[in-house]
Amino acid sequence: MYEQIASNRAKTVFIIIGFIIFITLVGFAIGYYLDWRYGISNNYSIILMIFALLMAVIMSFSSYYYSDRIVLSLTGARPISREENPRVYYMVEGLSIAAGLPIPKIYVIGDKGMNAFATGRNPQKGVIVFTKGLLDNLNDEELKGVISHELSHIKNYDILLGTIVVVMVGMITIISNIIFRSLIFGGGSRRRSSKGSGGGILSLILIIVGILLILLSPIIATLIRLAISRNREFLADSTGALISRYPAGLANALKKISMHSEVKTATSATAHLFIANPIGKKSKVMFKSLFNTHPPTEERIRRLENMSLGVGIK
Amino acid sequence: MLTGVISLIAIIAGIIIILLFIGIGIYNLIVSLRNKVDNSWHQIDVQLRKRYDLIPNLVETVKGYAKHERETLQNVINARKLGIDAKTVKEQAKAENMITGTLKSLFALSENYPNLKADQHFLRLMEQLNGIESNIAYARQFYNDMVMKFNTRIQTFPGNIFARMFNFMSRDYFEIEEVSAREPVKVKF
Repeated sequence: MYEQIASNRAKTVFIIIGFIIFITLVGFAIGYYLDWRYGISNNYSIILMIFALLMAVIMSFSSYYYSDRIVLSLTGARPISREENPRVYYMVEGLSIAAGLPIPKIYVIGDKGMNAFATGRNPQKGVIVFTKGLLDNLNDEELKGVISHELSHIKNYDILLGTIVVVMVGMITIISNIIFRSLIFGGGSRRRSSKGSGGGILSLILIIVGILLILLSPIIATLIRLAISRNREFLADSTGALISRYPAGLANALKKISMHSEVKTATSATAHLFIANPIGKKSKVMFKSLFNTHPPTEERIRRLENMSLGVGIK
Repeated sequence: MLTGVISLIAIIAGIIIILLFIGIGIYNLIVSLRNKVDNSWHQIDVQLRKRYDLIPNLVETVKGYAKHERETLQNVINARKLGIDAKTVKEQAKAENMITGTLKSLFALSENYPNLKADQHFLRLMEQLNGIESNIAYARQFYNDMVMKFNTRIQTFPGNIFARMFNFMSRDYFEIEEVSAREPVKVKF
């Protein structure tokens, strides 16, 4: 447990530093490209690098403090009051006591699909989000299983890492898209012939590196998301079962959820936060299993069955 | 010769310092676990107080409909007093088991009074009481988890040495017994 928290904090720092370095390098690459196009003396590379560094630092800080709010508004979640749904409030309250956590805020997404996620930068700022479909379709034991799963994400600080990744990956994707498009449509061959000698080969290499970096960024982003997602779902399942003391509840919930887990407001940037993959089966990707953000439901249910020795599994 | 002695002393001093730091680490760990046990006990206490606050209200409501069931009502009040006066974890657990038991017989009694069962105030109190009772169960679970961690730490090596040195005592679990299982169940056909 404590190792998990330490590792999540370390990974968060690592990702933030990686993000800053990445953005700075991209700034440098763009600058270098501009220098090469419009003459070395302009020093675009240094200026843009410093600018990118500053931007990256500011973005990192703001994503640490605001990423939970960004995620909540991205998914269209709204807070609900105790009067609106006393049942879920009682359950969340009780299970938070069992987990030894402060009681998180409760938000709801008005979607018929069944899904849930947790966000916030620490347990004091924890938020659990349910879809309306989930609250309507699960029975008490199943809902308790899901709540326990989300509470263990909060307890492990998965929420910090997961939420920051949403924002960082989102920004990298946006930036790389912009650059990629401007490279394609901007046309870069106008001055190449006139400046043949000198640092020509070096700058060409740097441009290639820059383009590679930009091309690779979505893949890097995907890999980061995978690295933080799959194992922690298993871990949260088992820690959650320790909180609710009833693994079958979550197993039965996962069975129901897997039938209809699509959430309209979820995107590939937020998918890894959810308890089950919220992106519909429409998205046909090659090597799908390789890029899955979630472990197969059958495997998760099998592990929970092992924990409960099959008791109570429907 | 002299330098040999000095380096020997330095090595021994180094080892002692390292051991000291390890010792401080273990001691701090035990203390932080003990604080967690205390804090989790506090969580139970909060829930128990909520129940104590609710009981007089409940008794008054029931009295309005079932004046003749003095004995059952008195049992609830006595059990509540026992809980408030409890000093140790064991006493508290015993009192809480009694409260739960007497409340059960109070609810069983309400079956005989349709007017009481239909009373909105009574229904709301029942609902609140059920919520608090499940919270007590959850708080108990967390407390017992913490006690287990703490006890294991001070009963196993090297924690047991520190426990003896600094007088850390094992804590009691908050145990529930099924009171109702031992009480005769009144069934009316």
